[in-house]
Amino acid sequence: MSGLGSFYGLGLMGNALDTFQQATNVTSDNIANVNTPGASRQNVNITQMPAAASFGTTTPPGLFGNGTMLAEIQRIHDDSYDALFRGATASQNYATTQQTQLQALQAQLGEPSNGVSAAFTAFQSAISQLVNQAGSNATSSRANVLAAAQTLTQALNNASNAVSNQKNQAVSQAGTLVNKVNGILDQIASLNGQIRASTAAGDQPNAFMDQRDHLVDQLSTYLSTQTSVQKDGSVLVSVGGQALVNDSIAYHIAAPAVVTGANGIAQLQIGGKLPLGSGQLAALADLYNNKLSGYGQQLDNFASSMAGEVNRITGASYDQNGVAGGALFASGVASQPISAATITVAITTASQLPVALASTAAGSLVTNMNSANNMVDTSAAINNNGSLANPPAAAGIAGTLTVTVDGVAQTFNYDTNSTDGSVNSFINHFNAQHLGVSASFDAAGQRMVFTRDPANIDLVHRAAQQAAGSPTDPTFTITDSNNPATPGASLLGALGASGIQGATQDASNAFGSNDNSGANALLGLFSSNVGVPPVQAAVATAIAAPGIKTIALPAGITSIRPGDVLTIDAQPGGASPQENVVVSAVSINPVTGVESITATFAKAHAANFSVSSAQVQTLGQYYGGLVTQVGVDTQTAIAGAASQTALASNIDQQRQSIDGINLDEETQNLIKYQNAYQAAARTMNVLDSLLSTVINTLGTGH
Amino acid sequence: MRIATSSIYDSQINAIDNLTAQQQQYGAELSSGKQLQVPSDNPSAIGQDLAVGNMIAQENQGSQNITNATAQLNAVDGALSSLSDVMTKARSIAVQGASGFVDPTQRQALASQVDSLLQETVSLANTKYAGQFVFAGSAGPSTQPVNAVGQPISSVTFAGNTSRQTQKLYNGDSVTTGVTLQQAFNFNSADGSPDVFQTLIALRNSLQNDTVTSQSAARVNATNTAFSAGPAPAAQPINTAGILATPLVADANGNVNISITSTSAPNGVTIAIPATSTVPGVLAAINAQSAATGVSASFDYRRQQLVLTSASGNFQLGDVASAGAPSAGNFTTAFRLQTSADLTSSLSRQLADIDNATQSMLTTRSSLGGTIQSLTALGQTTSSQVVNDTKVQSNIEDADISKVISQFSQSQTALQAAYGTTTRLEGKSLFDYLQ
Repeated sequence: MSGLGSFYGLGLMGNALDTFQQATNVTSDNIANVNTPGASRQNVNITQMPAAASFGTTTPPGLFGNGTMLAEIQRIHDDSYDALFRGATASQNYATTQQTQLQALQAQLGEPSNGVSAAFTAFQSAISQLVNQAGSNATSSRANVLAAAQTLTQALNNASNAVSNQKNQAVSQAGTLVNKVNGILDQIASLNGQIRASTAAGDQPNAFMDQRDHLVDQLSTYLSTQTSVQKDGSVLVSVGGQALVNDSIAYHIAAPAVVTGANGIAQLQIGGKLPLGSGQLAALADLYNNKLSGYGQQLDNFASSMAGEVNRITGASYDQNGVAGGALFASGVASQPISAATITVAITTASQLPVALASTAAGSLVTNMNSANNMVDTSAAINNNGSLANPPAAAGIAGTLTVTVDGVAQTFNYDTNSTDGSVNSFINHFNAQHLGVSASFDAAGQRMVFTRDPANIDLVHRAAQQAAGSPTDPTFTITDSNNPATPGASLLGALGASGIQGATQDASNAFGSNDNSGANALLGLFSSNVGVPPVQAAVATAIAAPGIKTIALPAGITSIRPGDVLTIDAQPGGASPQENVVVSAVSINPVTGVESITATFAKAHAANFSVSSAQVQTLGQYYGGLVTQVGVDTQTAIAGAASQTALASNIDQQRQSIDGINLDEETQNLIKYQNAYQAAARTMNVLDSLLSTVINTLGTGH
Repeated sequence: MRIATSSIYDSQINAIDNLTAQQQQYGAELSSGKQLQVPSDNPSAIGQDLAVGNMIAQENQGSQNITNATAQLNAVDGALSSLSDVMTKARSIAVQGASGFVDPTQRQALASQVDSLLQETVSLANTKYAGQFVFAGSAGPSTQPVNAVGQPISSVTFAGNTSRQTQKLYNGDSVTTGVTLQQAFNFNSADGSPDVFQTLIALRNSLQNDTVTSQSAARVNATNTAFSAGPAPAAQPINTAGILATPLVADANGNVNISITSTSAPNGVTIAIPATSTVPGVLAAINAQSAATGVSASFDYRRQQLVLTSASGNFQLGDVASAGAPSAGNFTTAFRLQTSADLTSSLSRQLADIDNATQSMLTTRSSLGGTIQSLTALGQTTSSQVVNDTKVQSNIEDADISKVISQFSQSQTALQAAYGTTTRLEGKSLFDYLQ
């Protein structure tokens, strides 16, 4: 008889049954968690029991095993894939959040068929119709312009609302998400504590670890997380080097707040100055700060520039009753300037739409300039010209015309010996000065015609006009430094325009209710380049030498942003030292609210140089640029969402291939352990019958 | 490689999601016919798309404007064509009236014809297009701008202005669509020649009353000077040095003497005009004797010409010699007057006025024709531009239907396959085989 005990086999089988029982339990747990997010599969490590000691002399130690035992329930998990997956999830959520928001915005903007551009086009068409039918009977085309203007302002209001709604939504969504994030941080911290305690006790807190890792996965949909597993089993969660969870302490992130940045623009700040990296929170902050705010600003710029340019013309025109016109567009909120949100139509009565421009041709101010029975030869020299009633003498005359428009007096120097040799050269010279009044020759009437031309005003004039409080006025005066009453002594006299001296053009002498010149000017506006945003100002401090300079703008101008192109020191005819500069930086003094811009100047500029938005594009092009930007941003988000989703899903598949649960595999395990269990039970049964033979047969009756 | 069961489902869900999204996109393209529905569909083309859309709208409106403007100009042209007929008739009446074979009764008949022509010209001058008086310039009178004064018509007033309206076209060009009363009817002409109304009134008066006029053959002022009725610049006396092209010679009493002989003053009436008179003074001196002579004087300041009118036929005008002044060629030379005025010479001078007014109108009409022609050409160009731009827009916006249909069915096949795969995968598990 060997040294092994009689119940040795039974004990051994008992161990086996225990082991297989536990193995099936683990398998069942795996199967139960096949659809649980974050669950890692658990593997049963079965080892041999330590070998039996020697029994007597015939059984050396280690010859017989003690059967099997469960070494550990191993959590299959590869932390290295976690980081990859979480990075991809953050990017994926960043892109999908932007995609959702931008697509919603895009739908609200209604481009290309139902948005601002369609309304703007309809407004242009209405103006074009007005050009054709400006007459007193054309009430319908006037009313049509007002209706189209109304539609345009509503479209702008809607677009502005869409942007601000989206901004508000970003803020409130960020608030909800921050609460969620803080909740997750709390849970992670609490799990960290439990894991640390279990680990210290030598336990394997696999389920806790699964839960915790899954929470970190969730966290990474909101922001870019970095994790490092500590020796005690807890995990340090940080973002951009700042700890969010350290052991069992959670550091909550601050609620989102809208603050004013150094450049004066409202910024959405989430978690204070926490570097969010990627994820939904970063997406919302980026949307708010870099996209929506920009769109809103551009919409406002479009609205204010468009309104400014249109109002400049309507303010310089007469309405159908000969009353000096006013602004077509106004701000619906008295205390605020015109923006996409506030723009409204100020004129509601069709007859009050200003369409007629003052012109000396319509009145009786200008007499024929030909001598009797002669027609003026406009290409011939003015000096001593027999076709003129009052030609200057052969020696010629030089002097200055003072043209007063919109409260701004500008001088025009003439010299019949050079720049103004003939009537034609005078007209070209005069019109090239952009004085807000244009000259032409009426051959049928043999008269000079001076017409108010609100579209032909240069940036110098605009700056002066803005400094004067932006008056617009349909009247104009032209005076001559030489006395026009003396025949042959003045240019105005020679032009037969002596009567214009000191005369104010008004409804009584220069108004035609059928006149469509204002409508012509409006139509011309849509094909001309304008300055957006509408900035015209004069800066008092000189720029002594070229270079990178920062200049403070006059108070009240806050709409310039980096990248805007400014025309500096505009000169009549674009003469030197005019130049265009690109704004490289903008800062706003938080106390005074004065905006300063930084740019590289190639030229020196004397004091009181003008600063204006460069007239580099039409209004339509500017708005088209905005729509393109929205389109590009949305497309980028869509493409990003697609690729990041695919990437995250690939990484997840990789990760799942290691720690994920496969039903077939578990089924096999189940069968394996079931069979082993059955075999062990069967063995036990055999052992039992062996023992029973011994016990029942051998011992009985002796 | 191990595949986790849940990742099988996840990837199937992803695949089905993507394919459904594709289906939805293709479906939207098919139902709207547009591949560019939102800016993100093609951001690089959206700017061009908006610009082209705007261009098409402007071209359509422009095309409509051109049609309107052309119709308006055609209305003006029609009025000018009628005016041309009137002037032709007036001319033939003037020629007929100047003939010695026409007796006074027949001339009365001719005069009433001219009067009806005059009324016709007034109504032509008030031609309306779309409720707007076409010759009113930029003024927008609610009542007709050209009105006859007196019955029979003795003069015509004009309530409009001479502004020529231009229309800016969508392409930035401008076209002048207005024709002024000045251009069409020679009204208030720059050279001072009589307008259509004045010409017809004078013709009618001549025929009706045997009104005979003698008029300065040319302006009487020296170059760069002008007579005015005053007050500003101050009316100058006629003996001011250099103011008359041909100076007067005053007699010892400082007068210039003329005599007028007419049917009512067969023996002649001598009139002494002080050489220091202004033009109104000259007129006053002559008109003071109107009762005796039947001749009245007026001065056309625009043309700087003296006009003497007799309502009772022919008259003679002569210089009267006086101590220190020449007997002939003094006043008549300085004021460039014919010494004898009769109906025939009066009417033949009016023929020249009719021709002058007609010429002015014809010049206007030919430039109008040019404008209509270029507008018509521009209208055609615009129409073809609309077609071209629409094509460009279609290229940007419209979906290639056959391509989208094929993509649609392609994605449908894939979607069906994904459904099939999912169903099969869901149906199969090792558990199915456990006994």
